[in-house]
Amino acid sequence: MADDKDVLRDVWYGRIPACFTLHQDQVTEREAEPYYLLLPRVSYLTLVTDKVKKHFLKVMRAEDVEEMWLEYEGTPLKWHYPIGVLFDLHASSSILPWNITVHFKDFPERDLLHCSSNSVIEAHFMSGIKEADALKHKSQVVNDMQKKDHKQLWMGLQNDKFDQFWAMNRKLMEYSTEDGGFRYIPFRIYQTTGERPFIQKLFRPLSADGAVHTLGDLLREMYPAAVTHEGAEKRLQVVIHGIEPLLETPLQWLSEHLSHPDNFLHICIIPVPSD
Amino acid sequence: MKMISGLDEDSFVACCRLVLQKSEELRDGWRWEQGSEGYLRKTVLHSVSIQEAENSEREIAHKECQSSEAVLLDDEDDDNVAGANCPADPPLWVHSEFHVLFSSSYRTPVMFFRSNTLEGRALSLDAMWSFIKPKLKSSSEEDLLSTVTQQEHPLLGQTFFMLHPCKTNTFMRPVLQAAQRENRAVNYVLTWLSVVGPLVDLFPILLCSRTRASVSERLGFQPTL
Repeated sequence: MADDKDVLRDVWYGRIPACFTLHQDQVTEREAEPYYLLLPRVSYLTLVTDKVKKHFLKVMRAEDVEEMWLEYEGTPLKWHYPIGVLFDLHASSSILPWNITVHFKDFPERDLLHCSSNSVIEAHFMSGIKEADALKHKSQVVNDMQKKDHKQLWMGLQNDKFDQFWAMNRKLMEYSTEDGGFRYIPFRIYQTTGERPFIQKLFRPLSADGAVHTLGDLLREMYPAAVTHEGAEKRLQVVIHGIEPLLETPLQWLSEHLSHPDNFLHICIIPVPSD
Repeated sequence: MKMISGLDEDSFVACCRLVLQKSEELRDGWRWEQGSEGYLRKTVLHSVSIQEAENSEREIAHKECQSSEAVLLDDEDDDNVAGANCPADPPLWVHSEFHVLFSSSYRTPVMFFRSNTLEGRALSLDAMWSFIKPKLKSSSEEDLLSTVTQQEHPLLGQTFFMLHPCKTNTFMRPVLQAAQRENRAVNYVLTWLSVVGPLVDLFPILLCSRTRASVSERLGFQPTL
């Protein structure tokens, strides 16, 4: 369907304007200018911020430089979450550009994973794809793929090549007509409160009697506070790729069209902004 | 215990309950952390040998040892004495935590672990590998351990190391099939722990020796003590 294909492209090409500023505690040889960059929602911070690193390294002494890490308003940014998820979760209510602070020392070991090279990002990304397929197809589709097919998925993401990526990813989005959908829907629900970083559980796209499960059904089961009752004041927003999909949207459709490249539906529950 | 190819959450919890009973008997220190999703947890304070540690780890440990030695010396500042009292490769005391969670995606238990020095410094994966690697006895053990990566703990949101669940079924299947043929009940979590635990080798597992022996028979390698 032409409309649905457009959704795939819109999701892939979503961008967030960001401004990177060096933390004031960083010792520099001369003044560090902020660096502006358009960040792809579906990618990962460590994959797209090489230019940011190079820019700030120019004004720093080599001995003051350790692994770069990023932070927003005191919160270390987890590079292993898709960029769009980090933005929707932490910064969607503030004005653009997204102001990110850059650090080169005092790496927060407890909160952030190390990222020594792109192969760490690739391993993490492929791990997500494999887990999603374990849920959707008992790993049958991803295991039937060859190593070069897996590589194509990664290269498509790394090089921002929509067609290259989807030529392979479409296989992960298929299902038999008698099944009517995936076995389970790969999803993660993120919240800003509490210790638990996300909720991920088994949930089917169809009920036992064949009824189509919607986003609302998923939330009623996993995060009932996000579903506002009749007459009550809405306190929470349910955000996917920066938008609030209707709760009546079928979950299977969301999984096929609004998943991230790792094949997971990343859903953010955030407080309604108070203006 | 019902014979199943994978595990569901209820069976996982039931297996864990039995593991806890056994741990209680043997004073092995496992606890159950309750939550909407519960998990097994054990903490250990132990010293590890760092002979094969990276140079940086050894340097840091050496400095820590020297500074603690210096505190013990009296006012006469004598650097040579401080150096001489420090053994070439001081044992490193670490505080380790092991969590056994359930992966609903892979229907298996998953091991999360981390170690910190007493000064609160997190041990790197390289440092941990340097303790574990010399003790591995076969390539299949190495293969399993190649799946150890840094991960975010799904319930605590903090950095841990994780033994990836994707290879679990590969080594559990022959064990489960054998038990099924012999009409023997198998505690999935206990069996899994008896294989995986010694591989991580940062804590002693006081399991029934019969479990360990039968497991090593099926897998063709000896889980290290």
